[in-house]
Amino acid sequence: MRAYGYLIKMRMLTSLAYRFDVWIGMIGDVILLAATVFIWKAAYGGDVLGSGASVVGLDGMITYTVISVLMTAVFSTGVQNTIYTQVREGNIALDFMRPLNLLGIYLSEDLGTMVSSIVNKAVPLVLMAALLFGFPMPDSPIAAALFTVSCMLSFMILWLMSAMVGLVAFWVAELGNLGMVKDAFVRVLSGSMVPLWFFPEGLQRVSEWLPFQYTYQLPLSVYIGMAKPAEALRGMGVQLIWIALLGVLLAWIWTRARGKVMVQGG
Amino acid sequence: MSDVRHYLTVFGYYAKLAIQRQLEYPLFLVSWLLMIPTQYFAGVWMLRIIVDRFQPLEGWAFDDLAFLYGLGLLSHGLVVVFFIPTWGTEFAVIRGEFDRLLLRPMNVFFQFITGYFNFIGLIDLIPGVVIFLYAAHAVDFVWGPGNVVKLALVVIGGLFIRGSLYTIVGAVAFWTKRSRNLINMSVATLERTTMYPLTLYPHAVQAVLTFLFPIGFISFYPAESFLGKTSSLELPLGMAIWTPIAGIVCMAVAYTIFRMGLRKYESAGS
Repeated sequence: MRAYGYLIKMRMLTSLAYRFDVWIGMIGDVILLAATVFIWKAAYGGDVLGSGASVVGLDGMITYTVISVLMTAVFSTGVQNTIYTQVREGNIALDFMRPLNLLGIYLSEDLGTMVSSIVNKAVPLVLMAALLFGFPMPDSPIAAALFTVSCMLSFMILWLMSAMVGLVAFWVAELGNLGMVKDAFVRVLSGSMVPLWFFPEGLQRVSEWLPFQYTYQLPLSVYIGMAKPAEALRGMGVQLIWIALLGVLLAWIWTRARGKVMVQGG
Repeated sequence: MSDVRHYLTVFGYYAKLAIQRQLEYPLFLVSWLLMIPTQYFAGVWMLRIIVDRFQPLEGWAFDDLAFLYGLGLLSHGLVVVFFIPTWGTEFAVIRGEFDRLLLRPMNVFFQFITGYFNFIGLIDLIPGVVIFLYAAHAVDFVWGPGNVVKLALVVIGGLFIRGSLYTIVGAVAFWTKRSRNLINMSVATLERTTMYPLTLYPHAVQAVLTFLFPIGFISFYPAESFLGKTSSLELPLGMAIWTPIAGIVCMAVAYTIFRMGLRKYESAGS
C-alpha cells in the first residue's frame, strides 16, 4: 500500500509543477463553461418557454453545467491512453516486470492527478464560475454529502470503462485509440452536456440500462436537488452494481490480456 | 511565375508523401472515423434537443443553427487538412526541426505548413459536408452560381482566418517553448464561437470576436447573410467580400509574427 501511496504523491507533484499549463487549461475550461451557460440562458430567455423549463429552472441548469465542467476537469482517466501507448510502443512488457499490480499502478497515477486537479483546477474554476454566474450552491448539505460519495463511485465507473477500452489495445492496437470513441459516447450519454431528462423518451428508457448516466447525470441531479436523497441512495446502489460488474469484467479481460503481450519492434 | 510553379510542385510532392505515409496503416483511421463524426453529429443533435424542448436560440431555429454549424465545420475541416503543422509548433521548436527547413532555399513558413498534408483531416469534413447539405436543403439555400461562388469565398476566407489564428498561437512557442495548451484552448474556443450564433454572447465578447480576433467572419456573419437575417454587423458590400479580406489581413499578420518568432528560434540542444 505504501508503494501506491508514493505513486499518488509523485504524480501530484509532477502535475503541480506545470503551473502555467494548468492556468491555460483552466481558461479553456472557463470558455467552454461560459459558452454552454450562454446557450442555456438563450434557451430559457424571453417569455416563450418550451416544456423543458418546467423540468428544472435556469439557476439549476447553470449549477448543473458548472459542476459538470468541474467534474470533467477533475476526473482523470489517463489509464486508457497509458495502456494504449505502452502497448503500441512495446513498453508494456517492462511495466509487467514491476513488482506491483499494474492496474493498481495506473489507478494510483490517476488518483494522484485527480488530487492535484482539485487544488489546481477545481478551486480556481469554482472561483471563476462564482464571479461570472454566482456560486453553484448545492440543494442542501445532505445533497452535497451524497453528491461527494456518488462522485467517487462515478469516477470508479469511468475509470473501469477506460481501463477496459485501454486493454482492447492488446488485441487491436492498429485500430487507433478507441478511447476517443468511447469518450465521445460518454460525453453525450452521461448527460454531461445536456441532461438526459431532455432526451427523447425511448433513449431515456435505454440509457437506464447503461452505465453512462450513472457517471455524470446521477451525482449532478443529486447536487441540484432533482434527485431526492432516497432516489440518490437507490442510484448509488446501481452505481455499486455497475462497479462490481465492470470490475469483474475488467479482471477477466486483464487475465486474458496478460497472455497476449506482444512486443513490437526489436 | 516559375517560382509559383516550383512551390506548387514541391507542395504536390509533400502532399503525396504525407498521404502515402498516412495510408501505410489504413486501419488506424478507424478510430478517427468513428470518433469525429460521432462528436459533431452529437453536437448538432444536442442543439436539436435544446431547441425542441425550449425555443429557437436568439431567433435561430434548428435548421438555421444547423446551417451555421455546418458552415463552421467546413472551414474547420479544411484547416485541419492544411494547417495542422501549426498545432505542433511547440514540438518543432523543441526538437529543432526548423534547422532543416532553414537550410533549404525556400520560404520556411511555406515548408512548415505544407510539410504535413493532413489527409486524415478530411474525416473532419465528412460531418461538415453532411450537416451543411442537410441544413442547406432545410433552409432552401439556392445553389445558384452566385451563391456557390460566395460560399467558396466564405469557406476559403474562413480557412485563412482559422489558419492564421493557429499560426499565431502556435508561434508563441518560439518565445516560450510551449504552445500546445494554448492551441488546445484556441481549438475549443473556435469551436464554440463559430458553430453557435455570436449573439448568444454578451456584447463585449461579440466585439472582441469581431474586431480583435475576426472570428465572427468565419461563419456567423456569412450565415446571417445567407439566411437573410438582419445583419448584426452593418457593412457595405457582402460578407463574401469581407470574410476573404479578413482572412488575407489575418494571414499577413500571422506571417509577420511567425517571421518574428523564427528570429527568436535558437534550435535544440543545451
